[in-house]
Amino acid sequence: MALLFSKMWRTGLVTEDLPSGGDEGLHLARVVEERTRRLLGRSLAIREVDAGSCNGCELEISGLNGPVYDCERFGVRFVASPRHADMLLVTGPVTRNMELPLRKTWEATPDPKLVVAVGECARTCGVFAGSYAVVGGVDRVIPVDLFVPGCPPEPLDILRGILKALDRLPRR
Amino acid sequence: MPPSFEVIGFLGIMAVSYIAAAAAALLFEDDRARRVTGLLSAAGALSGMGAAALGLAAGGSSVLELPSALPEAALEFSLDALSAAYLLLIGLVGVPAAIYSLGYGPERAVGAVDGALGRHSTGWRPARAIVPLFLLAMSLVVLANSVFTFLLFWEVMSLASYFLVIGRGDSPENLSAGRWYAGMAHAGFAAIAAALWLAAAGTEAGRFEEIRQAAGMLAPAARHAVFLLALLGFGSKAGVLPLHAWLPRAHPAAPSHVSALMSGVMLKIGMYGLLRVGLDLLGGGPPWWGGLVLALGVVSALGGILSALVENDLKRLLAYSSVENIGIIFIAVGIGLVFQSYGMAGLASMALAAALYHAINHAAFKGLLFLGSGAVLQATGTRNMEEMGGLIKRMPQTALCFLVGSTAIAALPPLNGFASEWMIFQSLLAGAAIPYPLMAAMMAIAAGTLALTGGLAAVCFVKAFGIPFLAMPRTAAAEEAREVPRTMRLGMGLLASACVLLGVLPFAAAPILSRAFFGMPGLSDTPAAFRLGLVMEAGAGASAISPTALALCLLAAGGAIPLAFRLAGSSRALRRAETWGCGRAVQSPRMEYTSTAFAEPLRRVFADLYRPAKTLDIEFHPESKYFVRSIQYQSRIRAWFEDAVYRPLFGLARPLAGTGRLIQSGSLHLYIAYIVAALLALLLLARWM
Repeated sequence: MALLFSKMWRTGLVTEDLPSGGDEGLHLARVVEERTRRLLGRSLAIREVDAGSCNGCELEISGLNGPVYDCERFGVRFVASPRHADMLLVTGPVTRNMELPLRKTWEATPDPKLVVAVGECARTCGVFAGSYAVVGGVDRVIPVDLFVPGCPPEPLDILRGILKALDRLPRR
Repeated sequence: MPPSFEVIGFLGIMAVSYIAAAAAALLFEDDRARRVTGLLSAAGALSGMGAAALGLAAGGSSVLELPSALPEAALEFSLDALSAAYLLLIGLVGVPAAIYSLGYGPERAVGAVDGALGRHSTGWRPARAIVPLFLLAMSLVVLANSVFTFLLFWEVMSLASYFLVIGRGDSPENLSAGRWYAGMAHAGFAAIAAALWLAAAGTEAGRFEEIRQAAGMLAPAARHAVFLLALLGFGSKAGVLPLHAWLPRAHPAAPSHVSALMSGVMLKIGMYGLLRVGLDLLGGGPPWWGGLVLALGVVSALGGILSALVENDLKRLLAYSSVENIGIIFIAVGIGLVFQSYGMAGLASMALAAALYHAINHAAFKGLLFLGSGAVLQATGTRNMEEMGGLIKRMPQTALCFLVGSTAIAALPPLNGFASEWMIFQSLLAGAAIPYPLMAAMMAIAAGTLALTGGLAAVCFVKAFGIPFLAMPRTAAAEEAREVPRTMRLGMGLLASACVLLGVLPFAAAPILSRAFFGMPGLSDTPAAFRLGLVMEAGAGASAISPTALALCLLAAGGAIPLAFRLAGSSRALRRAETWGCGRAVQSPRMEYTSTAFAEPLRRVFADLYRPAKTLDIEFHPESKYFVRSIQYQSRIRAWFEDAVYRPLFGLARPLAGTGRLIQSGSLHLYIAYIVAALLALLLLARWM
């Protein structure tokens, strides 16, 4: 227990200031926060599904949670179960092995739900197109609300995509 | 005041029923005798409750002396409000436990449990005969009105429960539990006997009235010694922390309805003894008495629940949780004694009433949980929670009862655990009024610890309910579990409804709580400090809460929220999906939360206290260590605290016991010679004096 507390004490806050020109990120995150509060009455819970990605997109998505963007400040939370999620963030071409888990994840997410497919592979399978191991884009398996293009897309692009997808939630 | 005819009648019926129940079990083997034994025990407990109700209504104390040749060894009983309260408590668990025993432990369970975690003794006839005697002994302990009577029935109570713990005596686990229990019970008995004889030193026949009068003349040192010895003896019976070691061993070994009686009732008899001696006979003492009891309570509450959290054996978990609850009760008793010594009569009455309330509530929900664990044991043949799972679908009524008990013990409103813990919190917070900063600070620390204990208890009982009852069965035995017989469900149902009623309608307990301490020194006879009505008030109206209204609100909200959604026109579309299993194609019990894993975060946080030992054996593939052939993980938590306390004691006791064995040859002839020698010596002594 002492170890735990001393670790928390020594680590402290690690959030950094954005590099110059990063004000757009802050602004975007604030708009996302404001809109999710209006639409959901609380923060936005995202479940990330790697359906077969090369992990380039994951790197960028984890950038959203890193010390620079630290989106959790604005109520964009990555959660551990689709049962808690409002939005699925799916990356990669859907491999044969991930087809069933992806569909099950979608079924397990409560309505109303949003699906944002991140990266080029999620739409067109990118360089993996035509491979025997790949089923196809994410929309072959589950309905997709929005594609975020890029290989990989930057954190800001992903944030923009999330914001745009929120417009598809039913009005209250 | 001699007792009224009705009281004698009820007490007589009680004693006769118990004895007849025991006789029926001893004389006849068949199923009908089993039923007669159970029903007669229930009748005995019920008539005990009848006598208690009459005694409470009459007020004062009525004394009954049985004729005897020797005045020192006369059996003398008295029924006052405090005895009546505990007699009611015995009945509260005794009646359901007796009904439960009708269906418990038939051949199937005995066969199923053999070779598993413990062997069962319920099918054994003498064990069935001992249960009513155990109930009778407990009833007579609380009715005892002289040192001799008290000690006699105390010992009968201890011995009866000892035989129930060891059962047939053919399982090493039960025998070891029995040795622990017998050792600690007798050490405790020695302390109690010393305390009572010391207190009764100047009296003629050791009657409690005489002690009460003489207590004022006792030297302060003697008074302190009496209190400390009593605390040691009664504390070991109640199971407060350093003296609790027998409890997690004996409770799992005993048949479950006996565990319910031992945990729900017998531990409270320890508390009764402390109240009777410390408060009634000695008339209270300096503030450090209460402070000591309070400190013991705080340590037990926290230590008990921390041990319960990491336990995988359902009945051991419940036993450790009993240590926690006894701690909570001792906290309240401690506050009461502290207030009393500062002359704050109203608050003292409130704290002691809270202690008694929690004792009654704990009897109800812990009795229920032990009966529930017995039902699970009978259905699955194991006490290990890691081998259960999914029982809610197979035994829904048992599950519902167990859920009620778990909710109550986690002190969630509107059940009874909440009502009494609320009162204890109010008493602790009122401790700020104590003019001595050190004591006031101790109250605040105790309040904080109690809050932590409450939180941990909630975690513990999420585990105790969730792991055995929810999700999928982990073993074939759990898969094949069936609902238990109707009599067992009736026993559990009675206690479950008691949990609900005592919580939702606190005024049902008010006549007991407000009268139980009537006439005790230093307490106010008109307890204005608290009121239990539709609204519970504490601290002379300083704070109030109404569990009844709370329950109504919960009910209303349960109906109103869906109604509001329907009126608001929200979608009622129903979508059925399977339980989330991380997207795996097929769900298997291996995906489930285990009991160990559930407690793991807290085990990490409190690693300094648990000192867990783990071994990890990984067998790598000979080609590359990135491929693993097998992983074996073992994690154990040793009760290092018990080792630290008891090992030196054993070291001391062993040589002494070796010496004592010299005169214990086991030869009957030698024993007869001892008796003759003792008789001769006594006769000579009498002649000489």
